[in-house]
Amino acid sequence: MVKENLCIQFAGFGSCDEVVMNDRQWIQAAKKGDEDAFAKLVRRHSGGLHRTVARILADDAEAWDVVQMAFLKAWQKLDRYNPRFSFTTWLYRIGTNLAIDLLRSRTSRERAHKAGSEHRLRLVGAGEGTGTRADSNETDNVLQQLVGVLTPQQRSAFVLREMEGLETAEVAEVLGCSATTVRNHIFQARKALRRELRQRFPEYLPASERG
Amino acid sequence: MNCEIFREIMGSYVDETLEEGRRQWFRIHLRECSNCRQTALREEPSLLFAMAPAAPGEPEAIEACTTAVMGRIRQDRLERRLHRRRRPWLAAAAAATLVISGGISWRALVGGGSETLQPVVEARRDAEPQNSPPTVEVEMAGEEVRVYQFASEEDSDTAVYFIVDPALEL
Repeated sequence: MVKENLCIQFAGFGSCDEVVMNDRQWIQAAKKGDEDAFAKLVRRHSGGLHRTVARILADDAEAWDVVQMAFLKAWQKLDRYNPRFSFTTWLYRIGTNLAIDLLRSRTSRERAHKAGSEHRLRLVGAGEGTGTRADSNETDNVLQQLVGVLTPQQRSAFVLREMEGLETAEVAEVLGCSATTVRNHIFQARKALRRELRQRFPEYLPASERG
Repeated sequence: MNCEIFREIMGSYVDETLEEGRRQWFRIHLRECSNCRQTALREEPSLLFAMAPAAPGEPEAIEACTTAVMGRIRQDRLERRLHRRRRPWLAAAAAATLVISGGISWRALVGGGSETLQPVVEARRDAEPQNSPPTVEVEMAGEEVRVYQFASEEDSDTAVYFIVDPALEL
């Protein structure tokens, strides 16, 4: 289900169809106890899952812990995996749920501390910033400063939809909710982020908007 | 022309009503066209996040993650095996097996290799004048080490023993 968009992350692993086919073969082998096959799945998917979870948590190191937990859980519940669905959807569902649980368990004090460690970022002016990695890391940095204003569900929906580029139906499947709920989360998240960006990061707006 | 289309469909993108194919095109154009990006950010600042890329993770970090996950899986497997070994009925079964096999072996050694093995009880009675029958001791050292000791009662010399130590297996 998440095949089309998540294949963006598999550069270097062959075509999207090849990736899905290999996943299926490795999952079948892993279900029979083949640990090497499961290791291949970890190598292939941990980078993409980490990026998503890190954006949701706004914490790179903690995201690796969640990724490890997600793969362990996937290994333990491999016999419950339904091959009708994409492995990535299933895996992202496990990882996203763990991240949401972690966010809920954090105290408001911890969140305030993170939001307080604000720093200024360089401008993305006219004629520059064509989606290079440096600019993107800064996009992640801005998000880290702002995600505190979003609920865990809004964060997850916005990251999966707007930053990872998944379709609404795929986000709904990962989050276990309806497409309408996903659209509502995106709408609320965009509204909050728009307000915060204008207040806290005016340098990211075009010169005519900075006042 | 592309820029015109971009500006026309921007509202639909933000409202989540744009068809998925056009949505992908919109995202690509947003990254590639600086003029349209300026316009888009002025009208909707949150579009900044649509420019976040699908950058792959660091290979070293991915390998470290894989090693950690697989190490934990192996550890869980060994712990489950050890847990099964610690079941009391299994220890009792192991002890009983040792008693029977020890008795048979003893009979074979002491009895001079008769062609048919006699019952264990008989073997013990026959062997008594020459040597004491074997005994089995099961020793537990905490939760970590289990020793099965198969020894002669007369001189306490150890004949067979097994040590199960999870640290050695790991």
